[in-house]
Amino acid sequence: MASVNGAVPTTIIVAGLALAAYALLMTALNRRMGLVLLAALGVLEVLLLVLIGLVAARLASGGGRPASLPTLIGYLVAMPLVPLAAGFWGLLERSRWGSAVVAVGGLVAAVLMVRLHEIWPAIHV
Amino acid sequence: MSEPSRDSRPAPASRAPEDMPAPGAPEVTGVTGPAPGAPAAGPAGKPQRDSTRTGPGRVLVAVYGLFALSATARAVVQIATKFSHAPVAYLLSALAGVVYVVATVTLAAGGPLARRIAVVAISVELAGVLAVGTWSLADKATFPDATVWSGYGSGYGYVPLVLPVFGLLWLRYWSRRHRRGLTAAARGSERA
Repeated sequence: MASVNGAVPTTIIVAGLALAAYALLMTALNRRMGLVLLAALGVLEVLLLVLIGLVAARLASGGGRPASLPTLIGYLVAMPLVPLAAGFWGLLERSRWGSAVVAVGGLVAAVLMVRLHEIWPAIHV
Repeated sequence: MSEPSRDSRPAPASRAPEDMPAPGAPEVTGVTGPAPGAPAAGPAGKPQRDSTRTGPGRVLVAVYGLFALSATARAVVQIATKFSHAPVAYLLSALAGVVYVVATVTLAAGGPLARRIAVVAISVELAGVLAVGTWSLADKATFPDATVWSGYGSGYGYVPLVLPVFGLLWLRYWSRRHRRGLTAAARGSERA
């Protein structure tokens, strides 16, 4: 694998922002977190796991080194926790604010892609 | 998780019939928890009790948790791998991390003592982001590498600047609600 294709990170940014927009709409409509948001978080989780696999494969194949390897590994460990934490914390809240928590999760996933690119430009966005 | 027993003063609800909130004191049951002898869950069987971690507080705790994790992890990496490069910046990163951890834990706990600690932590946070923000712009040589609070948190979309404001407003809402609840409880017990 020569480089981490930009398709997956870009998809995660789009998915994260779309999820955040939909979750904020639910918050505005006073709807608590439901199955749709939970399923969307699941999709985001799968996308993040695919990306982690791609980045790990790139690291393992010796395709260059990021400026700070510990930081990159920290991101790879923390990234899949974002949708899990957002889903867990959002489900605990039985009000519109559970949906708002999911919106935060979507935004964070999108921002993480930009950060990942800064840490290691080989990860295209 | 549960309120310190010091605060669960005997609410008039303990004298009222079971499952019936005392007249004029619905806030107290919400803030200080069920009166002694009352079932932990409400009539609907919902265990959720309002505190600083519920409602809008869920979002605050989530964002504080995110910053607690990222600021602490970042400081640990910086101090462990290249401390001499920018010691002041990295120590301030570590301080920010500690402040975020304390704020997250106390907001999530939500008891009266936790709220008091949270006010101190978040005030330190606000002072920190203002002081470090100004310092980092005035004296760039001290900050060859950024901290969470550099440039008033510009590297983090200014969230570090806005977050303590929301945190303090949320805590003020809760201290007022708590006080109103206590006043209502006192009035309720006079009447009884």
